[in-house]
Amino acid sequence: MTQADLVLQSLVSGLGIGCVYGLIGIGFCVIYNASGIVNFAQGAFVMLGGMITHVLLVRYHVPYALAAFVAVVAVAAVGVVLERLVVRPLWMRKAPVFVMILATLAAQIVIERVTFLLVDDQPKTLPVFLDWPPIMLGRVAINYQSLFIIAGSLAIVGALALFFKVTLTGKAMRACAIDREAALLQAIPVSTMLALAFALSAGLGAVAGILLTPTQYTAFNVGVPFAISGFIAAIIGGFGRPFGAFVGGLALGLVQSIAILWLGAGLKSAAALSVLLLFLFVRPAGIFGAAK
Amino acid sequence: MAPDPHAPLLQVRGLTARYGHVRALEATDLTVDRGELVAILGPNGAGKSTLLRAILGLVANTGEVRSEGVVLPRADPVAVASAGIVLVPEGRGIFGPMTVAENLRLGAYRVRDRREVERRLARTFELFPRLSERLGQTAGSMSGGEQQMVAIGRALMADPKVLLLDEPSLGLAPRVTAEILETLRRLNQSGLSVVLVEQKAPLALELAVRVHLLSLGRTVAVISPDQVKSHDELARYYFA
Ligand SMILES: Nc1ncnc2c1ncn2[C@@H]1O[C@H](COP(=O)(O)OP(=O)(O)OP(=O)(O)O)[C@@H](O)[C@H]1O
Ligand SMILES: [Mg+2]
Repeated sequence: MTQADLVLQSLVSGLGIGCVYGLIGIGFCVIYNASGIVNFAQGAFVMLGGMITHVLLVRYHVPYALAAFVAVVAVAAVGVVLERLVVRPLWMRKAPVFVMILATLAAQIVIERVTFLLVDDQPKTLPVFLDWPPIMLGRVAINYQSLFIIAGSLAIVGALALFFKVTLTGKAMRACAIDREAALLQAIPVSTMLALAFALSAGLGAVAGILLTPTQYTAFNVGVPFAISGFIAAIIGGFGRPFGAFVGGLALGLVQSIAILWLGAGLKSAAALSVLLLFLFVRPAGIFGAAK
Repeated sequence: MAPDPHAPLLQVRGLTARYGHVRALEATDLTVDRGELVAILGPNGAGKSTLLRAILGLVANTGEVRSEGVVLPRADPVAVASAGIVLVPEGRGIFGPMTVAENLRLGAYRVRDRREVERRLARTFELFPRLSERLGQTAGSMSGGEQQMVAIGRALMADPKVLLLDEPSLGLAPRVTAEILETLRRLNQSGLSVVLVEQKAPLALELAVRVHLLSLGRTVAVISPDQVKSHDELARYYFA
């Protein structure tokens, strides 16, 4: 393979992982907009998506598609439980935002540990969705899972855009993000919208985990790195802008894959954190400017 | 408890509100019957906004608020708004990045019947024809007067029993203020009950059946508009 082929190959895989970072980043934004909270349990949702699908598929022989569907619904439910059990009690007591953020970090650790106890510490993987040979573009191989990741992510982003633009519930969620008090005055149940935001973000995280696990692996402790990548994606996009976060995820995925190619896999996280620092120094409001 | 159709649409008794340890409203009473427009006057910091916000439950408060005899919860703005007590807050509270159409639709958030929404829209456009021409415009890009129309139009989409308005003329040119107040007069004449907080006292007095004078968080007098005009000291105080 020529250098150009290698770069192209890296970019394709970077695009795939970038989509996943983007989905996680959107999850951060949806909760942040609804509540002002940065939810560090976002990575746990990603881990749970892959893990629950794996357990259903391998231990209980549930058909793949059904296992994935059940996993997304279950993780969305975990999101609601997190909101009810951890966030809302603090919210009611008007706890400072950083306390709520710390609480989500604690929840991340609890979910991690419970998964460790219920499953084990071994890395788990999922079969690819379609076991076809990769598509060859010259000497660049594009595997179908990458296409699934990209197409699936785009479909979700499109559906999400429609949801926020067209449905009354979506508009109400946007209204809560713009002015929570004014939303209350329209009799919009703001606290229900908060629970919905957690369900939505958790479901998004689960989908990201399910899409990605076949090309990588999942284990009880993969959540935090994913959360950090999604967080960086959200920062790049301008925190609070869901679609900015998706673009941010793509950018991060591409930079990371090139960094792996030229600097080695060991510097993958260093590259991501460098991108974060770069943005925090040069353009803290992100590409598209922060939402608030 | 079933609503009593003979009880006032809004009855406030002994409403007290505080910000932390600062009491901003002391044992205030207020009654609004069907079709009445009640004005609340008072100098800056008198507690006018606090009174409206306390009725909705947006600030910590104690006391009793009833609508048609039904006691409304004191810390649940959604429940109070759902009961038809709808506030257009100071500063309007429109959803700036959203379109006029979206703002209006959200005013009728609890209504899922499309035809009912259409009916309410048509009624709103009758009052504010300009809004029907601007449905696709982002509300935040409109002029101050138009934004106030969006805010009032959005409140009307909820089909309120009592409309509470906090200084709708704030920051508006006299001509625009007159237009807004004329609309309020028409609404009131068609039977809508209104509580109007206004700094520009003369404007409010023309519409009101009763005037509550607030000062330092207390109701100092409940009088008829004529009494305000003929009362030298008050007139000097409020019209200076
Ligand atoms: N969020 C707040 N925190 C602390 N004190 C407040 C707050 N809002 C209002 N206050 C105080 O409560 C009192 C009443 O304020 P309020 O806004 O109700 O007055 P107002 O009559 O509406 O005045 P204006 O005509 O200026 O709108 C004032 O002393 C004000 O400083
Ligand atoms: Mg005020």
